[in-house]
Parts: sequence; structure tokens; C-alpha cells
Amino acid sequence: MSLALFWIFAILTLLFAVGVVVFRSPVSSAMSLVMSFVGLAALFVTLDAFFIAVVQVLVYAGAVMVLFLFIIMLLDLRTEERRPVKLAAWAGGGIVLAGFLVAIARVISSLPGATNTKPEILPGLNDVAQVGVALFRNFNLPFQIIGVLLLVATIGVVVLSRRELK
Amino acid sequence: MTNLLIALAPEAFLVITALVVLGIGVSAPKARGAITAATLLGGLVAAAALLLHPVDGNFLHGMVVLNPLARLFKLVLLGLGLVSVVFAAESFPKLHFAEALALLLFSMVGMMLLAGTEDLLMIFLALELTSLPLYILAAFAKESRASAEAGLKYFLIGSVAAAFLLYGLSLIYGVAGSTNLRVIAKLSGDPDPLLIAGIALTLLGFAFKIAVVPFQLWAPDVYEGAPTAAAALIASGSKVAGVFILTKILTLGLGHWTGTAGWGQFAPGWAPVLALMAAASVVLGNVAALVQSNVKRLLAYSAIAHGGYLLIGLCAADAPSLTAVLFYVIIYALTTAGAFGVVVIVEKQRGGSHLEDFEGLGKSSPVLALCLLVFLISLAGIPPLAGFFGKFYLFTSALANGRHLWLVILAVAMNAVSLYYYLIVLKHALVLPAPKETVPTAAPASKFLVVLLALAVLALGLAPNALIGPLSNGQTVKNIIINTLQK
Repeated sequence: MSLALFWIFAILTLLFAVGVVVFRSPVSSAMSLVMSFVGLAALFVTLDAFFIAVVQVLVYAGAVMVLFLFIIMLLDLRTEERRPVKLAAWAGGGIVLAGFLVAIARVISSLPGATNTKPEILPGLNDVAQVGVALFRNFNLPFQIIGVLLLVATIGVVVLSRRELK
Repeated sequence: MTNLLIALAPEAFLVITALVVLGIGVSAPKARGAITAATLLGGLVAAAALLLHPVDGNFLHGMVVLNPLARLFKLVLLGLGLVSVVFAAESFPKLHFAEALALLLFSMVGMMLLAGTEDLLMIFLALELTSLPLYILAAFAKESRASAEAGLKYFLIGSVAAAFLLYGLSLIYGVAGSTNLRVIAKLSGDPDPLLIAGIALTLLGFAFKIAVVPFQLWAPDVYEGAPTAAAALIASGSKVAGVFILTKILTLGLGHWTGTAGWGQFAPGWAPVLALMAAASVVLGNVAALVQSNVKRLLAYSAIAHGGYLLIGLCAADAPSLTAVLFYVIIYALTTAGAFGVVVIVEKQRGGSHLEDFEGLGKSSPVLALCLLVFLISLAGIPPLAGFFGKFYLFTSALANGRHLWLVILAVAMNAVSLYYYLIVLKHALVLPAPKETVPTAAPASKFLVVLLALAVLALGLAPNALIGPLSNGQTVKNIIINTLQK
């Protein structure tokens, strides 16, 4: 069951990832990126990493993609024009891609985890609670510094992008 | 817990001050005097907290580490920040003045946190907290094209450098399994290839922070285009914090992989990489400064060259040369902040910072011209000023350990070149007559501060032990130099 789900979501993720590159309209590209992220989130769920799955949907498929769509709308991007296919560019890209895939395959097959599956780390681990405890206990100070950092970024955006009234 | 609160009190006061200043800015945006006064008051409270209630110790597993050296650097960084707050009154646009000062304060908080930590996560966050306000401040003069360009360049190159740094630090974390520098230091043996990549990327990231080759391109444009008070902090405080934390990472965390860059006794490690960066920066900075006609640009190239001198000391990587590096970076920051102060006042009087704008300065405001003389001569490294002592000490300690003769010869030769362009500025300021009558504008606070900085440079030249002592556990300059030469 879990294996079947893995294959379904893995294929969905990859198909939509290809869609991001292939679609001519920026909105279609952005929407297939959303679907790719959702597929990735589902893969995390099959790995029992619920927190990462939720964050993946909330942050990437949610917030980041809304920003993408806003920018596409603000810049009023039109459908990309069809460019003539250059054989040399395709061949070059293909060679780089093939080399990269071979390198990745070799690295993965050399990893000890590739052939023998490791046991579950901690069955029934409440990862959201763990992350919360770590964030607010061990990493409280960095967490607050990030708060100040975000305040600085907000001030910067407001000050620099504000249209001044004369 | 209470000790931790006391340890972080100066930073907390600064953050609160920044919020108060923002509040004043919203309710009374025209009250620039009150805004400056509130900022300075907050800074003084922070300094008092630092001085009157010193705590030492290691809190939160190395995220906050305080010792006399860290506190000294926090104090220096706080002082440099407040210097640029005073300069800001003369050089920032009147609009959004409170926001500018609040951003200066936030940047100071970042620098001070940076001085008091031994944890990679905190180092990265503090570096970002230092840089982000400076990116915004560089672009703060919104009606000026140069300022927008400066801000954008600084931000883009800074982001790329931050990406390098973050990648490098995460690789180091991945190999060591901890973000704590003292745990990282327990790694030994042959370095993992991942660790080598991590160290290289970290060095590249810091090359941006202290403006040395290969990430030096932003410096001239940013120094020239940014409001001068922001440039002063970028050139002084940001550099001090960067050098201090780089020293800490390299010696505390990665001391096993120092290597040597001595002629004919090369051993792999980070020192040879730093040696190459140092040599390239010293040559490029000094040669490119020769043809500059804008004093701020000239100071930028001189900053690249001085970054190179500092790296020479880091290459040697033993106690005396590290003391020399820390001594030199403080002296350099005081001197360059003062030089920028003179530029602030001249810019206000003449409307520009080109060499011609300095003509006749000796006639119209002799005190200012004298201060400029002190700063530039100290940057050039002529006795009896502090800059001479910094260089002398840096080079002797680099010579004694690891025999970095080739680097020192290069640096001394290039230092002779640098004398030429510093003297060109002085010729314009002291010898050439003013083209037209100018009315000197009063900028009493900045002028007072410039004189104060000049006196400090002079005093540290006459009595370097006052600063060397705290930097080297009470050893005097003479002892350290004797120790160095005996090795």
C-alpha cells in the first residue's frame, strides 16, 4: 500500500515538475509547481514526517506560491513566445543532464542506506511537539533574533518602497 | 537565567531603544534632535550595562559566550555605531530619519551579538542582522541614483556571499554534528572532503564581509553611493565584527587545519588560501586606489588593502599575530571612522567628496584638516601614530612565525605605494588653495567627535599598551614583540 502510494506521488511530483519547465504560460507553470509541492508533501507523509509535510504545504504550496502568483500578476507576464529549437543547445544540455544523472546515481548507490533499509528512528515520535520544544527551549534566542531580523526587513521594505508625498 | 539576562542586557537595551526611536519617528518625525538624543541615550545605557555589570560565562551551550575580550569588542562596536549615529545627523536625508537611526541600532545589535558567540547558527543570524540594516541604509538616500545603485549592489553581492557562507557553515555542521565551535574543534585527522568544501565556502563568505578579493567589487560603489554615515559603519564596525568572528571561527573551531603559507614550506589548510586572498587584496587595493578622484572611493580601495594586511596576520595564526590582528582592526576602524567623519563635514560644506572639494580645507577649517592629516598618515602607517604601531606589530609577528617573508615584503612595498594616494588627498586639503570662498557650516557634534577620534589615534600611537594589554591577557607590546622575535 505504502509502496504504491510512493510510486503514485513520486510520479505526480516529477510530472508536474516537468510541467513547470514545459508550460508556456507563467500561471500554468506556477500552478504545476504547486502540484509538485503537494506531491512532495504527500511523500513526506508516507515517510511519517508529518511536520515537514504540513510546513511544505503551508509555506511552499501556500505562502511562497501566492507570492509567485502576485508577482506574475503585478508584472503582467504573458505567455512565453515559442523560440526556435537549437540543436546544439539541446545536445549540450542533454550531455550535462546525463552526466549529472550518472553522478547522482553513483553517489546514491554508494551510500550504505541504498541497499539495506534502516529501522524506524523512533516509532510514534510526535515531531510537531519535538520541533516546538526545540524551537522554544534550545533555540529560543535565535528564534527571537529572527523576529528582530524580520522587523528590520519590514522597515526596509516600507521605507524603500514608499512613494513620498511632496 | 538571570545571568543570561544580564549578559544580553546591552543588546536588549539597544533593541528597546530602536523601538522607542521608531515610535518617536511615527509621532514626531520632524524632531530629529530628539531622535538622535534618544538613540545616543540608549547607546550610553547599553555601554553602562556592559561596563558596570560585567558577567563572564558560557550560556545556552555556547550561543552566548562572554569574556573580557568579547566585552572589549562589544564596547568598541557600540562606540563605532554611536559614532555613525552622530554622523548620521549630517549625512542622512531628513525623511525617515528615525527609521535610519533604528536600523543603525539594529545593525549594532547584530555586531555585538556576533562578538559574543561561539555557535555557527548564532554567527550566521548575527551576521545577517548586521548586514540587512546596512543594505537598507546604503540605499537610504532615495532621490540619489548612486545610493540606489549602492544599495542594490551591496544587497545582491551580500546575498550571494551569505548563500556561500550558509552553505559552508552547514557543511561544517554536517561533518562535525554540532554548531558549537569548541565541539567542531574536536574533529581531527585528515579533513573530510566535505569539510574542505565547507571551509572554502566559509572563507568566501567572509571575503565579502571584510571586503577582500574575490568579493571586494561592492566596496567602492557602496562607499561612494551610500549615505556617508552608513558607509562609515560599513567600513568600521562591520569590518571589526567580521574580522573578530572570522578569527574566532578559524582559530577556535578549525585550528587543526591551519596549514602554512610560508615560502617553500607550504602545508595545506586555510592559511595558504588566506595568504592568496591577502596578496591579491593588498596589490589590487593599493594599485586601484592610485587613480581614484573621489575620496570615499579611495577609502574603499584602501579598505580592501587593509583587509589584505589583516589577513596576513591571520595566516600566521599564532597568539602574537592574532593579538596584532585584533589590535590592528580596532585601530583601523577608529581611523577610518574618523576619516569618514571628515568626509561627512566636507560633503556638507561643499556638496561633494571629490578631491577638489577638499581644496583649501587647511585655510577654511584648520582643525579638520589637521585631523584628516592624522587619520591619513595613520592609515599610511607613519610613526608615531597608531596605524604605524598596528602595521609594525602585524608584520613583525607574521615574520617571526611561519616565515611569511614573501607576504610581508609584498605588503611593505605596497604600503609605500599607498603613501602616494594618501598624500595626494593631503595635498588637496592642505596645499592647494580653495577655488571659491566657502562658508563653513557648523556641524559641532561631528567635528567634536572627529577631533576625539584623532586624539584617540594619536594616544594609541603613543601608548599602544593601553589597548594591547586587554587584547593579550595583560602582556605589553614590548613583551609580545620580544616573544615573537625569539621564536
